Amino acid sequence: MKSSQALVLVFLALLFAWAGQVALGFFQVGRLEPILNEETNYPAPPTPSGLAQTGARVFASQGCLECHSLSVRGPSGSADLTRGWGPRRTVPRDYLFREPALIGLSRIGSDLSNVGLRVPESKDLLMHLYNPRQRNPNSTCPPHPWLFDSSLAGPSIENEALSVPTRDWKQLLPSYEAKALVAYLQSLRTDYALPEAPLK
Amino acid sequence: MNSPTPSVCKANSSAGILLIGSVSWALLGAGLQVLATIQLLVPSLAYLLPIPWIGYGHLAPLVSFLFTYGWISSGFLGVLLILIPRISGIPFRYGRLLTSAAILWQFAVLVGLAEILWNGSTGLLSLPFSRSVSVLFFISFLILGTGLTRGLGRSWKSGPLLPRLYLLGGLIAFPLGLGTAELLLRGSLAPGALQIIMQFAWHSFLHHLWLTPLALVLLFQLLPALTGRAAGSLSLGILSWVATITLGGWIGNSLASEGPMPSWLQSAGVVATLLLGVAVLGNTLLFKPLLEGKWEECRRQVALRFFAVGFWSYFASYAWITFLALPGVRQTTTFTMVGQATQALLLFSFYGNVLAGAIYALLPASRSMGWPSHPALAYHFWFTTLGAALLASAYALAGIFQGLALNDPGVPMSTISSYLRPFLVIVLAGQLFWWIGQLAFSSIFFASLLKLFPSVAPVAVFPANRDIPNHPLHPAHH
Repeated sequence: MKSSQALVLVFLALLFAWAGQVALGFFQVGRLEPILNEETNYPAPPTPSGLAQTGARVFASQGCLECHSLSVRGPSGSADLTRGWGPRRTVPRDYLFREPALIGLSRIGSDLSNVGLRVPESKDLLMHLYNPRQRNPNSTCPPHPWLFDSSLAGPSIENEALSVPTRDWKQLLPSYEAKALVAYLQSLRTDYALPEAPLK
Repeated sequence: MNSPTPSVCKANSSAGILLIGSVSWALLGAGLQVLATIQLLVPSLAYLLPIPWIGYGHLAPLVSFLFTYGWISSGFLGVLLILIPRISGIPFRYGRLLTSAAILWQFAVLVGLAEILWNGSTGLLSLPFSRSVSVLFFISFLILGTGLTRGLGRSWKSGPLLPRLYLLGGLIAFPLGLGTAELLLRGSLAPGALQIIMQFAWHSFLHHLWLTPLALVLLFQLLPALTGRAAGSLSLGILSWVATITLGGWIGNSLASEGPMPSWLQSAGVVATLLLGVAVLGNTLLFKPLLEGKWEECRRQVALRFFAVGFWSYFASYAWITFLALPGVRQTTTFTMVGQATQALLLFSFYGNVLAGAIYALLPASRSMGWPSHPALAYHFWFTTLGAALLASAYALAGIFQGLALNDPGVPMSTISSYLRPFLVIVLAGQLFWWIGQLAFSSIFFASLLKLFPSVAPVAVFPANRDIPNHPLHPAHH
């Protein structure tokens, strides 16, 4: 085999892999558009806020993906729906506005595709970030106290301060990163119907 | 034996930098890997010492980055820089440029390490660092790759074809994969779920079209030289090469189950993985006769010992990947620790052993030294082999149990975590063993570089080639 023949063969083989996955993938999922819900007049999937988009990067940087997935499967061949991780399976359109689009690697913790639906209160999510064992004593999730700032409480405790015992008149306030992460987690919900994945 | 020319010596300094970097990153990665597993095993530690940059979320992607880009990629490039000028008979030009590129690669790993430690990972699969680090890798690779391609092109007809074909595939796949992944993943050109397809494609390119072909270059070039036997059917070899290059990029799709991946892509991934299993079987048929009846020689020759384990690990890794791609298995094991088992098999058993074998075979030739008879050689082999075996088997069993438990809605998540604990203890033991083995190797590697051991006559690949007719290293070719 001549070197030029080998070179052409390698290029064709690699082109086949790229064109097959990226180009065909683009035509299938790269051109998806949101669906307008005629009852609510809201698009599905909903567009996340700027804070939530920042939170997606905080989510990635804190390594949450090492233990949590973002993809509900089912109903056959998987217990994800029975475990209550979502009202329906996730489909490519659900990831339309996710930047970066992530699905995670392992499930040492639960799937978070619908954590915004399961834990809607920001106080609960903030508390989980500060001390996961406050809500669940068996939690193996590590705490993230560096996402909170300690400051003097002043005459009154601020609304967003965590309700944890502190010393020396201090209060624990969530940092911008913590607020963004919570906004992102709250945006993770698939309680809207899509033509390819209707709600039960 | 080929006598080193001044240009080869300059290339040796760039190879030396890459190999020193490779050994150092492996040591650091092994230490951090132990720290990460301890945190997973004892989550309470994170409460006692809440420091972000040593948390599991930062360490896990960092370890993967150090092993892939620091240890294996750097090491493979280093041994190829020693090998290519010798088998082609064409010395490298612009030695200083190559040395600068080798330093740049190490600098890129260092910047990536600092970024992931302080800022955390980007979350992108096999691309946990920023664009600036990718640019550094890209520039460094262009220089190193151009040097290697020059030697490859000019010597195309003067040696065995298969290693050259695999090298060509790897040298084109890496920049193509990294460049397009960078453009599409960070340039907002790939919206939504397409990003996930891209991540799996890049993950496949990195492992199955870059690292695996480079490992096969070393196996196809050095195993015949070390054993004194020539590889069998060229047609079978070319068929396996075509299958590897054509299908390698698709394998990542079989990692996903439902979710954001279109179902046809997942099916294509499964078919590609099963077909690639046939290609691996083809290569196994080519390698197996080379090692038959060579057990005594494996005991005597440290390089051959590592190559033998590396070759069988190649077969085991892809047999495991093929098993995981089977539809029923895939559905159960997606999002479990079987992913870490695959990584352990590929990195520690296959690539790691081939790299160690190549260093043992080639470094003596490049530095005119021999490996002293030292217990550290045996420690390196046994501790790393035992460590890798423990790691892969514990992760594999943990993943299967985890998958079965996840599929049973009656088992709470906290119980699944407790199921994993005994396996993680074995994983930790495996990682410690592997670290000890790597420490033994580092001690002998650095001591030999510094000439702290008494000089021994080189017992390496190049003298042995004289016995192989029609081998590029045979004197008749020069």
